[in-house]
Amino acid sequence: MGSQARVASRFVTGRTRAARLAILLGLLTALRGAAACAGAPTEHAVEARYLQKFAPFVQWPPTAFESATAPLAICIAGPDPFGPRLENAVRDQHVNGHAIVVRHVDAVRPGMGCHILFVAGDGGEGAEEALRAITHEPVLTVTDGDGGVNGSIIQFVMVAGRVRFTIDQNAAQNSGIAISSKLLEQAVNVTR
Amino acid sequence: MNRRPFLRRLMTALARTPAVGIGIASLLLVASLGLAYHNEGQIRGEKIREVEVQARVLAASLAGPLAFDDMAATHEYIDALKASPDFDAVGAYDTKGRLVAGFARSGEPLPPTNRIEPPRVRGTEIIVTTPVEQGDTQLGSVYVGAATESWSRRASRYLGIAIVIVMACLLVAVLGAFYASVSAANRRLQAAIAGRKGVEEALRQAQKMEAMGQLTGGVAHDFNNLLMVASSGMELLDRTTDPVRRERLKDGIRQAIERGAKLTQQLLTFARRSPLSPEVLDVGERIRGLQELLARSLREDISVELDFAEGLWPIEVDPSQLDVAILNIAINARDAMPNGGTICIGAHNYPAARQGVHDMVRVAIRDTGGGIEPELLEKVFEPFFTTKGVGTGTGLGLSQVYGFVRSSGGDVRIESTPGKGTTVFLLFPRSSQPLPRGNRGDGAFSRAEHDATVLIAEDDEHVATLVSEMLRELGYKSKRGATAAEVLRMIEESGPFDVVLSDMIMPGKMNGLELAQEIVRREPNLPVVLMTGYSDAAASATAEGFPLLVKPYTMEALGDVLAEALRTTGPPAQNAAS
Repeated sequence: MGSQARVASRFVTGRTRAARLAILLGLLTALRGAAACAGAPTEHAVEARYLQKFAPFVQWPPTAFESATAPLAICIAGPDPFGPRLENAVRDQHVNGHAIVVRHVDAVRPGMGCHILFVAGDGGEGAEEALRAITHEPVLTVTDGDGGVNGSIIQFVMVAGRVRFTIDQNAAQNSGIAISSKLLEQAVNVTR
Repeated sequence: MNRRPFLRRLMTALARTPAVGIGIASLLLVASLGLAYHNEGQIRGEKIREVEVQARVLAASLAGPLAFDDMAATHEYIDALKASPDFDAVGAYDTKGRLVAGFARSGEPLPPTNRIEPPRVRGTEIIVTTPVEQGDTQLGSVYVGAATESWSRRASRYLGIAIVIVMACLLVAVLGAFYASVSAANRRLQAAIAGRKGVEEALRQAQKMEAMGQLTGGVAHDFNNLLMVASSGMELLDRTTDPVRRERLKDGIRQAIERGAKLTQQLLTFARRSPLSPEVLDVGERIRGLQELLARSLREDISVELDFAEGLWPIEVDPSQLDVAILNIAINARDAMPNGGTICIGAHNYPAARQGVHDMVRVAIRDTGGGIEPELLEKVFEPFFTTKGVGTGTGLGLSQVYGFVRSSGGDVRIESTPGKGTTVFLLFPRSSQPLPRGNRGDGAFSRAEHDATVLIAEDDEHVATLVSEMLRELGYKSKRGATAAEVLRMIEESGPFDVVLSDMIMPGKMNGLELAQEIVRREPNLPVVLMTGYSDAAASATAEGFPLLVKPYTMEALGDVLAEALRTTGPPAQNAAS
């Protein structure tokens, strides 16, 4: 993790503030890495936050919700890398009148009532197949790119030690959800 | 309708004191200041809205970068605002209100935490805070501090218009003050003019009095001579019985009296107080009738030529005054020709040269005398101006001419070439009345056609006796009352009378004019003829419309007036009764 911080500091030399932040981040990571388990918590914390923040930038078809006040479900398939962080992050959060709830699902299948589906890590066998099964469902599928699971709309990637993401616009269109240009702008790569 | 009086009041007030002008100027100034303040408020409101819009644009742009920690983009957006000098401080804050990025150019640093508040103005800074939202999810907030317009820029914006306004106010104030001072000066001038007029009037009167004083000598001398002729003539009349001689003496006395009367008339004409009794006449005919008298007044070595155009327009003047005027001019001409010469009297129609001017008849009296020096020409009409020796002239001849012509609505001009002669032009307005037909012209008296009875109201017994003698000669019967009361009583008891002949000055409560009015009130068909020697009384009698005999009068005049009064007032009482 220490080497990561150094790389980051070199990368953002021009942006002093960001650089300092990165260094701080790196330092923190290093410290925490030394104290507890290796590196992952910070990365996953950011991902947890982002998962929740995708919601305002995405527009689901009205059929995706049972009612105007039906909750917006963020589903975690497979092992949960976030722990209580995601639960904490979404507590009391609303998006367009929908309360955000977190659900854990064992298996991915059509019509399971998820709006955002995160398939963590490698996702296990058949994850990619499962994603293909819900290609045409209005579900924002998110995978951790490092896990090597393909076929999702959004993939988290690490760029210069920071959590970024790519967006597959085609997949989004297939699933019938609309992604705000603001979110597209934030993506490191957009597949059209 | 109301505006004019108000405006006039305003102008009057403006004229009264410069304070009003200055007040208006100050009002203008205050109004423009108020307008500027109002403008300033509007501009500030617009500026706040502008900053709000920019803050919102920034917030919208920062939604993604703030949500996904894109510091680079966040800085880019904020730096874009940094380029504009209008923005003093811009900050981006996360969902918890903590500062993420931003800059503060000067003054206070960015607040470490941001709170969403309505726009406010702090000093010269407009502060706007806006949430960064996506949908209804708040992703952070922005803080924008923008400089309001600087004093120098504001001043430069208002300077031009301020100068114009101040100049306008100054102009109003100066004009107001100027107008006030001018009208004050005007009022002073008016007062001065009025004062001067009064002084001039007094001076004129004083000059007149002085002239009268000087005149007294000359006139007294003339009168003395006339009285001498009359008294010695009377004395001689008593001592002789030779009818031829008596006749000659009586002629002398009559002439003396006539000259005295004429002198009095001239004086009255000069004073312009003698009542004019104008008649419509043919000026040529009138002057032709005067030829005999002219010949007698002039010397033998002076010939008179008359030259009157055909079809002269009639004029309306007092005939006896016209005679006097012609005589006066002729006598002056005679005196200008000590070695003899010719006086040519002519008359022509003088048509109006343009609209609004009367047609005139011009009478020209030309002599072949020595002429008048140009510098004296202007003075010849002045009263008492004379070139003749003491005792010879009174200086009133040409002033009578002037007074008569002016009161007849005409004009008099004089032209003279020294050594060649002088011409006096008399211009009289053409009369619209036709000439009266059947002029008597035979010199006979108007006699009463029947035994009409005249009631004489006269307090002076001698005059009354004389008048009743004259009336008897004219064929009238007469009775006399000495006071107004007696006359009224006689009308009641001893009537009927055909005409009342009353003096204007009567003893008792009622004067002649009041008596005449009372008689008209009681007996509208009874004519009243007034007689007086006072010009003021004569004027009031003519004003009331009574026929008038000016003393001294001749029997002929008496007969004419009585005949006229009886003719116009209807049939005599006796006839009416029968």
